Amino acid sequence: MSAGDLGAAALRAALFLSLWGTGAAIYAAWRRDARVLASARVAAGIAFGLVVVAALSMMFALATHDFSILYVAENNARETPTFYSIISLWAALEGSILLWTAILAGATAFIAFRGTLAIPRLATTALAVMFAMLTFFLLLITTPAADPFARLAVAPDNGNGPNALLQNHPLMALHPPLLYLGYVLTSVPFAYAIASLILGEGGDRWLVATRRFALVSWALLGVGIIAGAWWSYAVLGWGGYWAWDPVENAAIMPWLTSTAYLHSVMVEEKRSLLRTWNLALVVATFALTILGTFLTRSGVVNSVHSFSLSAIGPLLLGYLVAILVLSVGLLLWRSARLRDAGPIGAPLSREAIFLFQNVLFMAATLTVLLGTLYPLVAEAISGAQLSIGGPYFDRVEIPLALALLFLMGIGPQLPWHGASRATLERQFTAPIVAAAAGAIAALVTGTTALAAVLTYALGAFVVATVVQEFTRGVRARRTLHGEGGIAAFSNLLRRSGRRYGGYVVHVGIVLVALAVATSQARTVDAEQTLAPGEALVVAGYTVRLDTIRPVSEPQRDSIVADLVVTGNGASEHLRPALVQYPNSAAAVGSPGIGAGLRDDLYTILAAYDQRTFSWATIRMRVIPGVSWLWLGGAVVGIGALIAALPAPRRRTVRMPVAEVAVSAK
Amino acid sequence: MNGRVVIAIALLALAAALVFAARPHDVTADERIDQITTELRCPVCQGLSVKDSTSETARQMRDLVAQRVREGKSNADIEAEFRAAYGDWIFLSPPVASWSGLVWLVPIAALGAGLVLVTGRLRSTDTPQAAGPSASEVAALRERVAREEAAEG
Amino acid sequence: MILGRVVRVAVVVAILGLVVTLALAFRRDPHDIRTGTIGKPAPGFTLERLDGSGTVALADLSGKVVVMNFFASWCLPCTQENPTLVRVYERYRASDVVMLGVNYQESRDNGLAYVRRMGMGWTTVADDDGRVALSYGVFGPPETFFIGPDGVIAGRHIGPIDEATLVTAIETLRARAVR
Repeated sequence: MSAGDLGAAALRAALFLSLWGTGAAIYAAWRRDARVLASARVAAGIAFGLVVVAALSMMFALATHDFSILYVAENNARETPTFYSIISLWAALEGSILLWTAILAGATAFIAFRGTLAIPRLATTALAVMFAMLTFFLLLITTPAADPFARLAVAPDNGNGPNALLQNHPLMALHPPLLYLGYVLTSVPFAYAIASLILGEGGDRWLVATRRFALVSWALLGVGIIAGAWWSYAVLGWGGYWAWDPVENAAIMPWLTSTAYLHSVMVEEKRSLLRTWNLALVVATFALTILGTFLTRSGVVNSVHSFSLSAIGPLLLGYLVAILVLSVGLLLWRSARLRDAGPIGAPLSREAIFLFQNVLFMAATLTVLLGTLYPLVAEAISGAQLSIGGPYFDRVEIPLALALLFLMGIGPQLPWHGASRATLERQFTAPIVAAAAGAIAALVTGTTALAAVLTYALGAFVVATVVQEFTRGVRARRTLHGEGGIAAFSNLLRRSGRRYGGYVVHVGIVLVALAVATSQARTVDAEQTLAPGEALVVAGYTVRLDTIRPVSEPQRDSIVADLVVTGNGASEHLRPALVQYPNSAAAVGSPGIGAGLRDDLYTILAAYDQRTFSWATIRMRVIPGVSWLWLGGAVVGIGALIAALPAPRRRTVRMPVAEVAVSAK
Repeated sequence: MNGRVVIAIALLALAAALVFAARPHDVTADERIDQITTELRCPVCQGLSVKDSTSETARQMRDLVAQRVREGKSNADIEAEFRAAYGDWIFLSPPVASWSGLVWLVPIAALGAGLVLVTGRLRSTDTPQAAGPSASEVAALRERVAREEAAEG
Repeated sequence: MILGRVVRVAVVVAILGLVVTLALAFRRDPHDIRTGTIGKPAPGFTLERLDGSGTVALADLSGKVVVMNFFASWCLPCTQENPTLVRVYERYRASDVVMLGVNYQESRDNGLAYVRRMGMGWTTVADDDGRVALSYGVFGPPETFFIGPDGVIAGRHIGPIDEATLVTAIETLRARAVR
């Protein structure tokens, strides 16, 4: 039996188990039948194993170049290196849906075994929802809509090879799986929310049960988005990391609503407010992941150069409609039971800031959605063709982002219910001084665009609030527990991880904002045609062209320009190239990047003399601060990890120590 | 020093820095070329601007814009030239006037509506509430404690 | 509670709108591009012939049906459509139909070598800085414009063209010229 047969059979068996599991979970939730629930658990576990077997067989088929499978023939070639062969699992539609299904099956199994122990009825109902979604995806990949194991009657001698852009950088191994994990894990809070609505529970048990899932999926989405930005920066060869492309927009939308949720959920936990709203946010986040999948997989919003409309489009649209009808219907039906307990606090209370923050995030999400879909609407209604791209999104989103940065500094510093004038002064004196220093630092270092100066000021403001919180927390622990400085700091992170991990995340976001502001405001570029030995000068850097030479590898042919960049203390050998893959009509530009904490040196081989290699057109972009973007992404990930790790059990003090200290002052 | 004096000085310094950053200054020819090419969509790319794209078409478009700027054409003239050839499609940011103004109006309207909605739900007084929770909150907390005890027990 | 109802209705309407938009999007043809130039006077130009034997000005061709084809040797679909162009050129050779090939984004040497190799007997010109392509709103080769005897752009085809489309467009314009 070949790997292809094994994978196909495993998926069909998994589909059968998933159908059984759906029915069993519904029955078990309805009748509270523990034995049927046990069978659903087993079904979930085995189904997960089977889908993993299918994914592994696909990887094996790719690595062994089994061209009798259509997917392998279309996305692999004998010359493809093994590493890129294996990660080609997510290089095209069918394989990526297979990966998606594997993650979904894993989440289903997790709920089946862990979730149903703690809160049996709610989790069993959620399990039924998970199984129903898993069944849909298994149906997709066992029917011709997206069958990864579809066969070719005659296996060709060699395959087409992966998409040129997808075999050019090892980040391809990281960025799609992270994003898919983030996308798929949003289905867990969704399933619990739906279960809670179906059962008519007014409370927030669903929310407590899925808090960690929500945080982890948010973090994976965020880190996946940054990894994607890094990939586009390193591969697409224009020196940018974000272009408001529909694919990017599809990923940022659920991240925005998810961020809003992570904050407004605290209002529900502390104050039992916003119950309907939080349910709506969970539903919106999940629906946006499906919308994003639809937009990027159906080909409806691609550019002039998109060709095929896959059969999967209408199916995903149907799935999206079913989810929206079900969840909005449930929300409207149950909303009477979800009355909030009392009014929201004063305008200067933490909950009020969270609410304003939610409004801003909703406006930001709506803008992305509208901007992505508006060309479709305009064309459908008036026949007019128009574009919505970077300049539009920048104009709307940058003011929103700055306002959010401001609230990020304010919110954590305000107490629940409301703040007195004395509190305000105590909390904000140092941050306001820091903001002024940040603005002046921006001007002194040559960042003079207004939005960028504001970003520096607000970034300093936020960092100062975080430093203030940490200092106070550490001081409180030292006084109360007599701990040393380092021990107090690490205990703060371990024992109040949700709070202080959150602050770390805020610092990561500030790094990202500073990197974006700096690189957008101060990128300088120059382009010149050089003969070997000649040099171009830009922003204090000298770029000398040494040679232009062809390089041949089994899977590709390249033209490489050897550059030496000197100046501002840097000395780098960079090799931008034009890479020709046999399956791609046009050569793919591969930039030569010299990364640095201050400036990135981004060199592009734009054109060259094809006959005698006597000249090359080199474009050099000096992009300051862009490295801080990836660093910020890592800090966000670390902060989220600190917040998600379970705190060690407390022995005596139940209230977080830092809060005791602050209120005791 | 008095805390309020410190805050006042810091706010003044901040305002001065922002005013300095926002001061009007003469736009150079290169800045105009950048402004115009940022708004133009590269016809052969996936949504990239003419400024960012490395394609030959974008290079030719940059050259054309630079030449028109040197000839003393206004931004509106240059935009009109590209609109005549490619229609509104060539602009990455749709015109505010005309039908597509909706795409600008909706986010602003939604933001305004959201802010009004939230402000309406806030407690009207801006003095902070006394430390004690309200009766309904006590009820909610009781319910919660009971539930958690039930869950643990 | 009036506010609550307004919000609910707004949510339902917004979701309906979203779904209808997405469903409509399936009917969209990504190749159907309608840009500003159709129905307007064709932008004038004077371009040098690829073989170096003088220039061609659009103004000199007024009163004739002009088939203007943007091509390049590096463009695979151009190679595919070329036999069609050759056949149609032979068919209208003796008539008042002018076929004009505009070489797109490549060196004259390469362009000329391609023209000779592919047996393109019609007039071919070089658009070195791409200005003519930009003034016609070209996305990429192959693209074909149909200019009537009145000097107005009557039609445009993006991508490789087939014989029926090409002949129909030409005949429509010739009929108009006779009237």
